[in-house]
Amino acid sequence: MNIRSNFRGIACVARKELLHIWRDKRIMVLILVLPPFFTFLFGHAFETNTPRDVAAILQDRDQSAASKRFVTKIAADKTFAWRFQAANPPCDENLVRQNVQAILVIPEGWENGLENGRPVPLQLVVDGSDTTTAAALEGILRQNLGDFQSAALDRMIKGLPPEVVRLGALLPVNVRDEFTSAMTPWAVNSRILYNPQLKFIDYVMPGVIGLILQMLTVTLTACTITRERETGTLYQLMVTSLRRWEIVIGKVLPYLGVSLVLIALTVAVAWLHFGVHFQQPLVLALICLLFLLSSLGMGLLISSFSETQTQAIQFAVFYLLPVLPLSGAFAPLSQLPENIRPISNLFGLTHFCHAFRLINLNGAPFSYIVNDLLLLTLGAVLTCGGAALLLRRTQQ
Amino acid sequence: MSEPYIVLDGLRKEYGRTVAVDGLSMSIHRGRIFGFLGANGAGKTTCIRLLCGLTRPTGGQAWIGGRDVWHDRLQVRLQFGYVAQKFSLYPDLSVLENLRFFGGACRLSPGESVRRAETLVDLMGLHSKREAAASSLSGGMKQLLAMACALVHSPPLLFLDEPTSGLDPVNRQQIWNLLYDLANSGTTIFVTTHYMDEADRCTEVGFLHKGRLLAKESPKNLKHMFREQLLELEVDPVMPALACLRREAGVLDAVLRGGRVRLYSEHPADLLAGWRRQWPYPDLHWTGHRWVDADMEDVFLACSHGFDQLLTRTAP
Repeated sequence: MNIRSNFRGIACVARKELLHIWRDKRIMVLILVLPPFFTFLFGHAFETNTPRDVAAILQDRDQSAASKRFVTKIAADKTFAWRFQAANPPCDENLVRQNVQAILVIPEGWENGLENGRPVPLQLVVDGSDTTTAAALEGILRQNLGDFQSAALDRMIKGLPPEVVRLGALLPVNVRDEFTSAMTPWAVNSRILYNPQLKFIDYVMPGVIGLILQMLTVTLTACTITRERETGTLYQLMVTSLRRWEIVIGKVLPYLGVSLVLIALTVAVAWLHFGVHFQQPLVLALICLLFLLSSLGMGLLISSFSETQTQAIQFAVFYLLPVLPLSGAFAPLSQLPENIRPISNLFGLTHFCHAFRLINLNGAPFSYIVNDLLLLTLGAVLTCGGAALLLRRTQQ
Repeated sequence: MSEPYIVLDGLRKEYGRTVAVDGLSMSIHRGRIFGFLGANGAGKTTCIRLLCGLTRPTGGQAWIGGRDVWHDRLQVRLQFGYVAQKFSLYPDLSVLENLRFFGGACRLSPGESVRRAETLVDLMGLHSKREAAASSLSGGMKQLLAMACALVHSPPLLFLDEPTSGLDPVNRQQIWNLLYDLANSGTTIFVTTHYMDEADRCTEVGFLHKGRLLAKESPKNLKHMFREQLLELEVDPVMPALACLRREAGVLDAVLRGGRVRLYSEHPADLLAGWRRQWPYPDLHWTGHRWVDADMEDVFLACSHGFDQLLTRTAP
C-alpha cells in the first residue's frame, strides 16, 4: 500500500471524526464557549496573588495622637478590611468566633512607650491555618510599622533642638558619619527583570491556558475509541483494511484542529482582555502544538485501554488529578520538594508551562526549551503509539 | 470443480483452557451460500473472527482466495465484507455518510465512494432515507445499511453473522433475495444462523458443535442423515403426553410439532408395535400416528444432543 492510500485512510477517519464532533451540537457549543469563558474567569481569579480585603479587627486602646496616626496609615492599606472596635472592653481573641483572620491591638501606653524609651509592642493575633495569608499579613504589618517608625525618625531629626546639633558638631567626623548612616534607612537597590510590574497574570496565563486545554483534550479524546468499542463499530473498523496507526492519526487530527481553534480563542482573551503580551509567536505555537499532541495522545491511550466510556472518563480524572498540583501551572515548581519534581516532569503541562514562560516572559533563546520540546514530542509518540498498539483489543 | 475459495486446515482457537474452535477443516467454493449452523456458543463467531483476521489462530491455518487469513490479513480484508451480529454503524452519521466512510476505509477514492454509495442506496431501497441518521432507521433498514456498507468495495466474499436475527419475515425475505442475487453474480456468502428455515436456503450447511464440525452437506443431504423416518403421535391432551413420552424407555427425546408429539428413538417401529399391544397411559387418549421426514430442526437437535444412533455417520 502506498502513501496515497494511507492518506486516503487517514482522511476518511478524520472526516468521520469531524462529523461526530459537528453532529454533537451541545458538546460543540461547550467546546467553543467554555475555554474562553474559563480563561476570563480564571484570569480574574488569579489576577494577583497578594491577599486583599482580609477581615480583621483593629482595637486602639491607646487613643493617643500617635496611635490615631498609625490607625489612619494602616486603614489605607487595601490588604485589610478593618472592623474598628472601641477601646474597651479588651478584645475577644477567638478569631473564629469573631469571624476574622487577624486582630491587631494597640495597647494602652503605646504612645508613651514610643517617647519614654521603653516601647510597648503592638499585639497581633493571626489565623495560621492559612499559611500563606498569615505570613503575608505579618509582613505587611511590619512594613507599615517600619514606614511609620522612619517617618517618626525623620520628624525627630528635623525637630532636634539647636544645642544638640551644636553638640553633634563637636563629635569626631567618623563617629558623626557612623551615626548618620545608622539613622538613615538601609536600602536595597533592586531591578526586577522580565516582569517588572510583577503582574501575576503574566506569569499564570500559560498555566490557565495549558490547564484548560489539558482537561478538554484528554476528556474529549478519552471517549473516542471507547465509544466505538461500545457501539461495536471498532470491530467493524478492524475488519476494514485500515491500519491501526492510520486510525489513530485520523482520530488525532480533527481534535488537533479543534484544539488549535481553542488556543486561538483563549490567547485572544488573554491578550485583548488581560493585556498579556505574547513574544515569539512562532515558537509559542510550536510549544502549543507539541503539548496538544502529547495531551491528545494521552486521551487516546486512556481510550484504547478502557472498556467503557464511563471507565475512560474515570481514568481521565485519575490522570488529570495529580497534574493540577504538580505541574507548576499556578505556582512555581520550586515550591515542590526535590524528590517530588521527577514526577512533575512526567506531565506534559509542566514542560508546556516551563517552555512557554521561558520564551514569553524571559525571552530565552530557543535552545533553552529544546529539552522540554523533545520530552513533549516523546510523550506524543509514546501515547499515540501505545494507543495504536492497544487498539487491537476489541471486545470478545 | 474449481479451486475452493475458502480453505480451513485444522483451524484452532483456545482462550485459556476453553477451546472455542477445535481443529476445523473444510473448504467452500466460489459462489456458494454457506450456512454455518450451531447453538449459541458453538464457536461460530470465533470462527468468523479467525477468518476475518481479527484474532490469531492458536493452531492450524486458513486461506481465503489463496492468502493466509492471519499473515496476509490486510490484503485478505479487501476481499470480503463483514456484517456483524450487532448493529455496528455510526448512529449519528447519515446513511450516505456511513457508506462513504466505509468506502474510504476500504481504500476507494472519494469519487468511487460516492458513486458506490449512490448505487447501494438504490439497490437496498434506502433512497428516501439517504440523508437520515442511521439511528433513525428501522431494524430492517439498519440491517440493509449494514449489508450495503459491507458491500461498498464490491468484495467477492461476504461474511454475515446472524444477519436476520430480530427481523420480521418480510425483511428476512428481502435480505435473502439480496443474498441470492449476490451469489448468482458470483459472490461467495458465508452466513451464520440458528434459524432452521434459513439453513434450508443455503446451498451448503456446516454444522458446528462445541467447536467441532459435525457435518457439512447440502440441506437435502443433511436431512437424509436420519436412518429412518420419524414417528409422530396424536395424543390428547398433548402436554401431559409430551411429559410422559419423554420419560419413556427407548425414547431419546420428544418435541411438540404442529400439535403432535415427534419422537426421537432408535427403534420407533418397535415402540409403536408395543403401544399397539398395550397403551400404558390410561389417562391419555391416543388417536393416531404418522411417519414424517426429518427436517433441519431435527438434524440440529440430533447433532447437538449427540443422538448418533439416529444418524448415519456420513450422509449418503
